[in-house]
Amino acid sequence: MINYHPDSRMLNEFSAGSLPLAQSACVSLHLNYCSTCQRESRKLQQMGGMLFERLAPCEVDASLLDSVMSRLDEPAPLTYEAKTTATDESPALMRRLMKGGYKDLEWDRINSGLQISRLHTGDVENEFALYHIKAGRTIPRHTHKGTELTLVLEGSFSDEEGIYQRGDFLMRDAEHEHTPTAAKSEDCICIGVLDAPIKFTGWNYRALNPFLSLQAH
Amino acid sequence: MPDEPPEDDSKMQGQIQVDENGSRNDEWSICLQQIGQTQCRASFERLFAHFAPLVKAFSMNGSAVSIANAEELVQEVMIKVWQKASAYNPQKAAASTWIYTIARNSRTDMFRRLRKFDTPLNAEDIWEEDTGDAPFIAVQERRNALQVKELLKTLPHEQAQILAKVYMEGKSHSEVAQELDIPLGTVKSRVRLAMQKLQIQVEK
Repeated sequence: MINYHPDSRMLNEFSAGSLPLAQSACVSLHLNYCSTCQRESRKLQQMGGMLFERLAPCEVDASLLDSVMSRLDEPAPLTYEAKTTATDESPALMRRLMKGGYKDLEWDRINSGLQISRLHTGDVENEFALYHIKAGRTIPRHTHKGTELTLVLEGSFSDEEGIYQRGDFLMRDAEHEHTPTAAKSEDCICIGVLDAPIKFTGWNYRALNPFLSLQAH
Repeated sequence: MPDEPPEDDSKMQGQIQVDENGSRNDEWSICLQQIGQTQCRASFERLFAHFAPLVKAFSMNGSAVSIANAEELVQEVMIKVWQKASAYNPQKAAASTWIYTIARNSRTDMFRRLRKFDTPLNAEDIWEEDTGDAPFIAVQERRNALQVKELLKTLPHEQAQILAKVYMEGKSHSEVAQELDIPLGTVKSRVRLAMQKLQIQVEK
């Protein structure tokens, strides 16, 4: 059961195509787990289709039809047919970004309970990273300068405001200061999308802040 | 900006027709199926005449880059429509919605290309095609389509205008706020009100 979802702005910008790439990837992964948001986004897409129908047509150059007609015999790019039918459980989008399993990634060890792996999405303003929190361990208390999106992929974690499980989507901004803790029973892996570095606020962890400079790529 | 008169929707009346089995029998859905099944060029020309000007309108979203690339985008979209027509499932979506999503995807990909984004992802990875159960989706679609279509007509101009900017011009809420010179909170609340009116329950 998914309890935490993107808000109206996120889902609308996602459906309309104006959300930055790394954030879109995060919302897309949430949809993978959440049938409610799938249904809502289908409705939004339908609404988009209706707004599209209502546009005032804009005349195209007369030569355009000929030039399109002459290109119809070009072979279609492979991607149209080569949609994977992979049996792997993890979402196709994740597999595309990871090119392998969690073990094959390069992990930066922040401390004995936390490792971070930054993935390449092409979005240079938003960092897309995996956080691996050991069972029962905590990400030191921190704040965000910008927006932080979190999506749980494996296990679960909790903070001052709730318990989050696989597929749950969280959006936090600068007002939030929190201490996410992985469940005792298993490690937690989640995605974090940041548009500005997080900042540890506990005195004994501040020394780690330099390791957290944003690595969006 | 003064209120514009409500749009004349009469030309769209009756365009969405879904029978009890969930099949569509409106002109464009049939046309698209013919293209998919028989590669019928005459049907494609008909479809082109109707949709290419809409795709172009969609492509001209105000920025200089879009205007310069509008016809290129129209070509790209229409060729994809031809190539993907056999994957069109009339139970799941109206032809216009299906073509709109191709246009949205192509526009997003084109902007990333123009900005020299080096990315392993394309729009189809982000908006995966619906693999859900077709008959189930068909029932939902039918209900939603009629509902949203009717309700869309009743939206106040200030809400419809923002949805048009978000969906057709591809602007973020903050860009819309800047352009209309209103606070971001106002844009967000107008979108929320519109969602409530359209009975799209995005706040859970």
